Order: sequence, then C-alpha cells, then structure tokens
Amino acid sequence: MSIKRLSRKDYLNLVEAIFFIDFLKGLSVTLRNLFRKPITTEYPQEKLTPPKRFRGAHGHFVWDGSEPDSLKAIEKFMSYERGKSRCVACYMCQTACPMPTLFRIEAVQLPDGSKKVTRFDMNLLNCLFCGLCVDACPVGCLTMTDLYELAGYSRRDEVLRMDRLEQHGVDFSRRRGDEPDRIWSNDREREKLWGKIEWSG
Amino acid sequence: MNEFVLSLIVTLVKIGVLLGVALGLGAYLTWFERKLAGHIQARLGPTVVGPFGLLQPLADGLKLMTKESIIPKGADVPVYYLAIMMAVAPAILLFSVIPFGPEFTVFGYKVKPIISDVNIALLVVFAMGSLAVYGTIFSGWASNSKYAFIGSLRKAAVIIAYEVVLGFSVLGVVLLAGTMSTVGIVEAQIERGVWFIFYQPVAFILFLFCMLAESGRVPFDIQEAEAELVTGYNVEYGGMRFGALPLAEWYLNTMALSAIAVVLFFGGWSGPNILGALSPYFWFLAKMFGLVFFVLWLHWTLPRFQAKDITEIAWKIMLPLALVNVLVTAVVVYTFGGAG
Repeated sequence: MSIKRLSRKDYLNLVEAIFFIDFLKGLSVTLRNLFRKPITTEYPQEKLTPPKRFRGAHGHFVWDGSEPDSLKAIEKFMSYERGKSRCVACYMCQTACPMPTLFRIEAVQLPDGSKKVTRFDMNLLNCLFCGLCVDACPVGCLTMTDLYELAGYSRRDEVLRMDRLEQHGVDFSRRRGDEPDRIWSNDREREKLWGKIEWSG
Repeated sequence: MNEFVLSLIVTLVKIGVLLGVALGLGAYLTWFERKLAGHIQARLGPTVVGPFGLLQPLADGLKLMTKESIIPKGADVPVYYLAIMMAVAPAILLFSVIPFGPEFTVFGYKVKPIISDVNIALLVVFAMGSLAVYGTIFSGWASNSKYAFIGSLRKAAVIIAYEVVLGFSVLGVVLLAGTMSTVGIVEAQIERGVWFIFYQPVAFILFLFCMLAESGRVPFDIQEAEAELVTGYNVEYGGMRFGALPLAEWYLNTMALSAIAVVLFFGGWSGPNILGALSPYFWFLAKMFGLVFFVLWLHWTLPRFQAKDITEIAWKIMLPLALVNVLVTAVVVYTFGGAG
C-alpha cells in the first residue's frame, strides 16, 4: 500500500476569499451536526449492553447439566452440589495468570476421597482483564461476564468470593446464555464498522 | 418640576426593566450556548437541572456564589475589584442607547423604549466599546499572573485595531442616514423601506468581524485562548467574580452589539405587523437573537486566528476596505443626495 499524497492549496482564490466560502462550508458542517441526533448515552439512566464476549467481572458456571465432557470424566472424583461452582481447583487459571497472586484457591480431600473446593477468591484490584484464566480453564467453569460497573467503596469489596462468582455465572448464563458466542450481535453491525470480510478460495 | 419627576420615574422603570431583561437573558444565553455547543458536537448539553436543563443558569449562579474566591498573592486589590466593574458596566451601558421599538403613549405621556435617546448614540457605543477593554486590561494587570497579563495585552492589541475599523464601517451608515442617533437611523431605514445592509453589505461584514473581536468571540478570542493561556485575563478570578467577566464580555457585549447591528443594518424594529402593539419588539428581539445565534454558531465552527494574523487582517485588509467603503458611500451620497 502506498501513501496517498493529498495536495492542499495554501491560499484561497479570489471568489472564495470574497464570499467566505470556507466559512460557509464550516458553518454548513456544524449546522448539519446541530440537527443530528446526539450520540450521548445518559449513563446512570441508560446503560449500554456490551457484546457477549466482553471481558468484565469474572463468574463461575455451575453444575446445571451443561457440563463439558472433560468435567463429566472426572465427575466421580469431585464432591459437588448442583447449582454450585464447577471448579475443580486445578490451578490452571492461576498458572496462566500474569499476576498469579490475585488468586487464592484452596481445596480439601474429604474422607471418602473426593475433592472439594473450599476457597476461590479473586482480587480484581490486581486483575488486568486479559481473559487468559478463562482460556485456561479445562472444565468450562471460569468465565467473564458483561458486568463492567466494578467500582466499590472498599478494597474488600473488590475481592470476588465463590458465592459472588457463582451468582455472576448463573446470572450471566440466564441473561446471555442463548446468544451466539461472538463479539458482534450480527454481521451487518460488524460490516458497518469493519467492512465486509473476503475469504480466500 | 412635576414633568421632571415623571421623566425620572419613567427612566428608572426603563432602567429596571432593561437591567432585569438584559442580565436574565445574558444568564440564559449561557444555557443556550451550552445546548448549542452540545448539539453541534453531537452531545446533549445540560439536561439534568430542570426540564431540558433550563434551571442550569441558576445552578451555575448558586455554585459560583458559594465558591471560595482566592485573591492571588501580590495582586493589586483595588484594581482587581475595579476590573470587574469596568468590565460589566460598559457592557450594560451599551444597552442604554438601543431603541427597542417606536414611541408609544401611556396615560397621555409619551414613552420611548430607549433609555437615553441622545443624538450621538453611536459615539456612546464606541466609547463604551473602548471602555470595556479597561476591564480586561485591569484584570490582567491586577491579578499578578503572566497568563492573565498576556491575555489582556492581546485583547488590547485586538481592540485598538478593531475600534478603528468599527468606526469606519459604521460611518457609511451614518452618511446614509445623516444622523448618529440610533432612533434616527432606524427611522431613516423605515422611511426608505430598505434595510441598510442592502446599501452597505461590506460595512456589515466588517461590523460583524469587529463585533466578534470586541466581544472576544471566535475566531478572534486570542485573549482567552484556552489552549495557550488557560483562560486568559480572568484566570486568577474565582467565584461570582469570575462569572461576571465572561457574562459581561461573551453574553452582554454580544447581545448589545448584535442589537446595535440590528439598528444599523437590519432596520431596527421594522417588520410586518403580526402581533399588534408588540410586533416591533418581537421583530427587534427576533433579529437580535438571530444575530446572536449566528455569533454563537460561528463560535462553535471556526478555529482561532493567530495573534499576529488578527492585527494583520485588521490593519492591512479591513481598514483599507472600510476606508474605500466610506469613500465610495460619501461620493454616492454627495452625487445622488442621501438623507439630506
């Protein structure tokens, strides 16, 4: 791709100078914009819904019958209840994380030999929302939701514990679970911004 | 004696009405300008306080009143306070020579809707325009700040250049009307049935530019160039003292000079009779706010000239044009007989 050189005249010609053509052009631009619909989102009153793959606050998907095969294979080794987190405490998320200390994961072995996850805390103050932990999760448990209002009044509020993670996951799959897993809601929206994709062959 | 007391009362009432209307409208122009700027930039402008944000000027006023105002160290305190008065007073005094409508009779007493119908009204306008610059200069000088001082120096340079052009641009109209009284100029236009903008288009454009320069509007707003000088001459003021300076310069001055332009070029209160007795006032205010709207519209369209360009345009282009305009007008009036 070569650089296109645009030439610009340094001086207006006589007609343009006398009749203020450049002023009038500018005025017409602002007038057109004056009658355009404002693009403001009045934030506290109206909120945008981010795309489904938005990387917001984390959540845990729960045992609800939609588990992947990887989780079904080790089901009998886990101590779990329906409606609770699918986490198997494999520490893959912590391993993938660029800032591993933001995780506090603990699990115990119950007398019957099964594994029970007792703690899964995420300190979001250290999180950079890269989503590597979500990619690393082998059992389809950890996810990122579309929640973006994460401000709180204390540092303690910013640590996500298991109950909030589960609640986020349940809430997220109830609200957005049926949508296709893609950034743009449809192709038309995407093509409007990014142009049409032409695949080879 | 009785006559004198009566005229005094009438004048005081007129002053009261005008002060209320001018300051109220000035305050509401801030709301209008913010709305306009917002919509031009595809935003909404003020929406929260009251319906359509209509109570925003009150909220702004309340905020400015309750703010702490800090006087900078080393400031010249008497001049610091004097500057505010020197900025506001001439802007309001400009309204004293503006005729809002024709003479009417109340209880057998003739009332002119103009505070002082003097026969040198245009000279009063120039005088007040020149006095207004003292507010800027004093505020820059007294606040002991380089930003403010540079701003006020720039304003002085602009005013010196544009006062001259303003005077010459108006001379054409004065020659045509044969009078310097604002009422006389409007009556001359009504008599001929032609607005002077059709006789003096060049003068009108020159006047418009001078008006922008005098009221510190874009593209001549180098004295408060936000990007370079923070906000220029009023940077060291706080609270309502800060509020008074832009109110005077941006809103009152713009309104007053628009009204003068309406008187000079758009036939004052003349217009078809659509509202009965109120029709002249309606036409005057409609024309005036049309012009104010144009100034605001220009403000949110154009970028700012460089400081050197502004004085260059004034001295090298506009002043010769104004002189030629006056000369041609004088010759035409002498040959074909103007107002006579």
